Amino acid sequence: MSTFKLMRNEVRMLFNQFKLAIKTPSMLLFYGLTFFGILFVSSVISSFVSFAPLLSNLASLLEDTISRGMIFAATAVLSASSVVSGYFGLGPAALLTIEDESLMMSAPVKPHQMFLSRYLRRIIRKISFLAIGILSVFPLLTSASLFFFAAVSLLSIVTIFLEINYLLGALSSYVRFRLSLRVKHRVRHLVVIGLGALALLPAHPWLVSNLVAVYIIPSNAIALFLTESTGLFAQGINPIYSMIFIFIGFAICLLLTANITGYNYFESFSASKGREETEGRFSKIIRGDIDFSQSRFNDPMIWIMIKDFWSRLRSPMQIWKYIYAIVGTVFVLYLNIVRPLWFPPVPVPTGLEFALVPAFILMVILFVQMASVTSMLSFVDERDNIYLLKVSPFHSRDIILSKYLLSLFEIVITVIPACGFLIYFIHIEGYLSLITLAAPLSIIFAATGSAVGAYVPVMTNDPQTLPVPLAFSFPIINLGLGAILVFLVAMFAESILVLIILPVYTLSLVCIFLAFSTRALNNYK
Amino acid sequence: MTMRASLERMPGDELLRLARVLKIPIVKRNIKRSWLVEEVMKELEKRNERKISPIRLVTPAISLDNVTKRFGKKVAVRKLNLKVNPGEIVGLVGPNGAGKTTTLRMLTGIIRANSGNIKVDGYDIRDKPIQAKERIGYIPEKPTCYPSLTAREYIMFTARIYSVPHETALIRMREFIELFHFDEFIDTYIGILSKGNLQRALLIGIFTREPPYILALDEPIYGLDPRGAWNLKKLLRQLRDDGSAILVSTHILEVAADLCDRFVIMNEGDVVGKGTIDELKALFPEAVSLEEIFLSLTGGIPK
Repeated sequence: MSTFKLMRNEVRMLFNQFKLAIKTPSMLLFYGLTFFGILFVSSVISSFVSFAPLLSNLASLLEDTISRGMIFAATAVLSASSVVSGYFGLGPAALLTIEDESLMMSAPVKPHQMFLSRYLRRIIRKISFLAIGILSVFPLLTSASLFFFAAVSLLSIVTIFLEINYLLGALSSYVRFRLSLRVKHRVRHLVVIGLGALALLPAHPWLVSNLVAVYIIPSNAIALFLTESTGLFAQGINPIYSMIFIFIGFAICLLLTANITGYNYFESFSASKGREETEGRFSKIIRGDIDFSQSRFNDPMIWIMIKDFWSRLRSPMQIWKYIYAIVGTVFVLYLNIVRPLWFPPVPVPTGLEFALVPAFILMVILFVQMASVTSMLSFVDERDNIYLLKVSPFHSRDIILSKYLLSLFEIVITVIPACGFLIYFIHIEGYLSLITLAAPLSIIFAATGSAVGAYVPVMTNDPQTLPVPLAFSFPIINLGLGAILVFLVAMFAESILVLIILPVYTLSLVCIFLAFSTRALNNYK
Repeated sequence: MTMRASLERMPGDELLRLARVLKIPIVKRNIKRSWLVEEVMKELEKRNERKISPIRLVTPAISLDNVTKRFGKKVAVRKLNLKVNPGEIVGLVGPNGAGKTTTLRMLTGIIRANSGNIKVDGYDIRDKPIQAKERIGYIPEKPTCYPSLTAREYIMFTARIYSVPHETALIRMREFIELFHFDEFIDTYIGILSKGNLQRALLIGIFTREPPYILALDEPIYGLDPRGAWNLKKLLRQLRDDGSAILVSTHILEVAADLCDRFVIMNEGDVVGKGTIDELKALFPEAVSLEEIFLSLTGGIPK
């Protein structure tokens, strides 16, 4: 069985997916929404702000604030974090799917062949999304007077560097596997500190000043590429050499990972599938035993919310989210009230002050967007149980409203500490009125998340897998709606009308999206 | 004769594709279907003459010796000994969590046993996994497949993986499409097939290879309608008579009783009974069916 046959099959599957996407109206709609949404947002941004003067001065402005070593340290930290997280990860098995387990693991196919073909799929997908992304932000690139080729090569090299980090993580997981065969004591996991330190070592000044070491170590090569291609601490070295060495590093890491991919990763994959369902030990201690039959709430909405709250608490990450919400809120209150000297805000270069307000607003939108992913997942997390929920004797509107309200609660508790940090670090004039925009944004994004999540079982008969166009269009829809909201506020800032327009805009969008969600729920196959 | 019948029923595009695969020169603009069938038949016969003698399976075709599998502290399968000879259908029966699926997953090399030896057609699954996997056909308990392939693409891909010659794959695919009444779904994306039709697609994928087979089937009747189930059972019996070795895992006792020559009954990772239905009945004279024997061996008949 040649690897190329498997690779050809992967390409065929991707091509079929593409064909399906352009033939299915709903998918085409969401893809179109994503592409033209980004194009629209980037056109609007570039018409408001000219990035060319900002970018031309950026290098000199940043050189006053940071040092050359910090860039090398940052790329080394990225590699080190991949090595550390990779040590505890699945390694090459992370690329495998449940279909591979059913069909390919029992077939006469070598594990490295499966890895390489699956990896090709990953690369093709990334290249396609990168190409679409670059095309959709074309107005921004033009506004910044950036050469198209320069932007493409920068993004490509950064992507390859991230792939190298992924492969380093896979190699790190192999170290854990080999070590666990020889040493059974838990102390063996201390080796991860050594691996992390090894990945940080290239940031040592001696290695940064040695050109050979800079070229052959990927984290240094990318740092050199970034400095030379952006002009930041540039030393007049041609960045093409860094590019070549990054490609060589990538090829070496890829072949090394393929080489270590063995049958043991089949077992790792199978075991991980079993573990997915298990509950975090810590959450179990906090949660205790819950018996819903003893619930004193008879209202369907409250019952669904309580069910979702306790079911989500089974996931190991959820409890940490609540801990972050409580500890983070207390900490930002302390920071903003006491303003401790030991934790000063980051100084902003004076030349960049004019960009602070747009950056502040953009960060508020992004924070709320990141927090609102939970609302999209409120349906996906139900998996096949969504059909049980649908046939249960509840009104569709009760199901939607309960999902919406619980998601809103989760978004709010996540956004509060993030906004607190933001107003501490970027203390601009009028921050208090700007930060209040987080409230309508949360209310709207929770509704868009519910609508997008509710559409998953309409588009696919696998309700636990979020289709790519839906996942991509969600942040774009939110970014677009957030931009319109900011635009409305800016337009009517001087008028009392803003007190009417803002709630009307927010509530009408919420009603529309919740109506879409109900419609989606009523259309499940 | 069967091959000719298959060719005669083959749709025009498939027949042309087969002719192209066989490198039959088609120079005329208009050709008669009967001429093309004749040419394809001639070419196939010529190739069959050159073929080496048919494959014969080693005895036992499936062999598990003292196999143990642990998941953490839990023992899923304990010191299992199991042999399946060519020309035999063995039923692996047991309640949920008995270790049946784990056994089949070890046999097919998806997971590894903690101890013991597993051989498929004489090849050790640990030392010679590729050779062992080339011989075995597996249907998983919960059938899944790549959703963005059409059934035809999947079947031809499977044929390529198992190095089945293209012409053989095309002919056998047509044969089994008809057996399983799958014609209307052959160009459908797998992601939108029903469970029963997905099971059919997976079965056709296995049978594109040439017999005799070594099969590990986990709940093979799952999702099939009565006609599909009947056809599959008939096919499995015929394959057994032709020398295939088949291990069927099921907890549907009617299927096991109807299909299998011997049974291995598992409960909580242990083999609690084995033998033919008569041998098992001799152990429990009061039992009138396999169901009662099964219940007696796995916790007693409920009052």
